[in-house]
Amino acid sequence: MTDITFPRMSDAADAKGVVVTWFVESGEAVTPETLVAEVAMDKVDQEVRPASSGTITIVVPENEEVPQGAVIATVSDPEGS
Amino acid sequence: MTITAGPARTESPDVFHTPIPVEPDAGHRRLSTAKALQEAIAQQMRRSDEVLVLGEDVGAYGGIFSSTTGLLDEFGPERIRDTPISETAFIGLGIGAAVEGMRPIVELMFVDFFGVCMDQIYNHMAKIHFESGGRVTVPMVLMTATGGGYSDGAQHSQCLWGAFAHLPGMKVVVPSNPYDAKGLMTAAIRSDDPVLYMFHKGVMGLGWMKKNPRSIGAVPEEPYEVPIGRARVAREGSDLTIVTLGLSVHHALDVAERLAPEGIDVEVLDLRSIVPLDREAILASVSQTGRLLVVDEDYQSFGLSGEVIATVAEAGPSLLRHVSRVAVPDVPIPYAHGLEEAVLPSPARIEAAVREALA
Repeated sequence: MTDITFPRMSDAADAKGVVVTWFVESGEAVTPETLVAEVAMDKVDQEVRPASSGTITIVVPENEEVPQGAVIATVSDPEGS
Repeated sequence: MTITAGPARTESPDVFHTPIPVEPDAGHRRLSTAKALQEAIAQQMRRSDEVLVLGEDVGAYGGIFSSTTGLLDEFGPERIRDTPISETAFIGLGIGAAVEGMRPIVELMFVDFFGVCMDQIYNHMAKIHFESGGRVTVPMVLMTATGGGYSDGAQHSQCLWGAFAHLPGMKVVVPSNPYDAKGLMTAAIRSDDPVLYMFHKGVMGLGWMKKNPRSIGAVPEEPYEVPIGRARVAREGSDLTIVTLGLSVHHALDVAERLAPEGIDVEVLDLRSIVPLDREAILASVSQTGRLLVVDEDYQSFGLSGEVIATVAEAGPSLLRHVSRVAVPDVPIPYAHGLEEAVLPSPARIEAAVREALA
C-alpha cells in the first residue's frame, strides 16, 4: 500500500491547504496517469496523481484543512496485499 | 507582435472538416468544467498550429477563471499570447488572424468588458462573412466569462448572452457542465463561423467559488463534438418544462430533485446553444408538459426568456397552460451579497415559481 500525501506547496512549516475536488471515489482503480484530486493552498491549485496503480481509499474529505505532507488517500496494491 | 499566418503545419489540410465523434458515451474519467475546456483547446492545438489563444492573462496566469491553465507550458508564448489591456486591439488581431486562415481563440476576460470592443465584435467578426458574400470566413472563437453570485459588482457579474444573440452573424454557446464544455469548445474551434463561447464562472468547478457538484463530471478522453444548436433534456419530467442554461441548469436540477418526493415531476431542458436556438426541442418538451418556466440569469426584458416564450406562442398558444419566467429584474447586478442573491435566479426563486405554476 502506498500513501498519497498533500503536496509540498509552501516553505512555511505549518502551511495548510484543502482538497478542492476528488475526481475519483474510494474503491476505484487508479494509475499514475489518473487525475485523482485537485488541491489548493493560498489560492494556488495543484493536480494530484498517485505514484502507483491500485485501488484508492480516500482519507481526507473535500474542503477539510490539512497540513502539507498529510496522507490524503491510500492506494492498495493490485494484488490486494 | 506578429502572428504567422499560413501555410500552417497541420495533420492534414482538412483536419477541421474531417468528422469526429458526436456526443459519444461519457465513460468514467471525471473532470471539472475548467479542465474539460482546457483539454478541448489543447487537443485541437495539437492537431493544428492554426489554433492559438490570445487574451489578458491567458498565459502564466492560466486565465482568471482557469480556462487556459497549463497551455503556456505545453505550447509556449508564441501560441498562448498574453495581450495588453486593449480589447479592441487584440480582438481585432484575432479577426485578422482568422481571416488569414488561423483559428484563434480570443478571451474577453469578462463579458462585461464588451463595451470597449463591440465594434470589432459585431461590425467585423460577425459581418465579414456576410459582407464578403461568403468569400471570407472568420473561424474564430471569442471566449468569455459570464455570470454573478460572488459579489463582483455590476460591471463583472452580467450574462449578456441575449445582447449577442440578438445581433446576427455569431453563433452563441453556453455550456453548463464538463461534458458539454469540452464538446462545444471542440465544435466551436472546428466551426468556420465565429462562435461566442460564454462560460458561466459558477460551472467551472473552481475551489475559490461556490462549487456545485454538477461542475464535476464524466468526460471522454478523445476529441468529440457537442453539436452547436442542439439542446439537451437534462432531466425528464411530465408536469412542467424548465427551459434554462448555464449555472441555472444546476439550480433547476437541484430544485427538480428536491420536489420529486412531493410528486412534482419537472423536466429540465438545457439549451446549451442560444444561436442557433433549438426551437424544436423547446416545442417538443412544452407540448408534452403544457407548462413553461424559463429560467435565465440574463436581464428579463427584451432577451432570451421572451424569445423562448415567443417561440412557443407562435407555434401554438394552445400548447400553454402556464407560462412564466425567473430572470434578473431590469436592474444592474448589486454588489451587496443579500441584494445580489435577491435578483439572481436562485434555487428559492425557481422553486417558488414551480410551485406557483402547478398551484
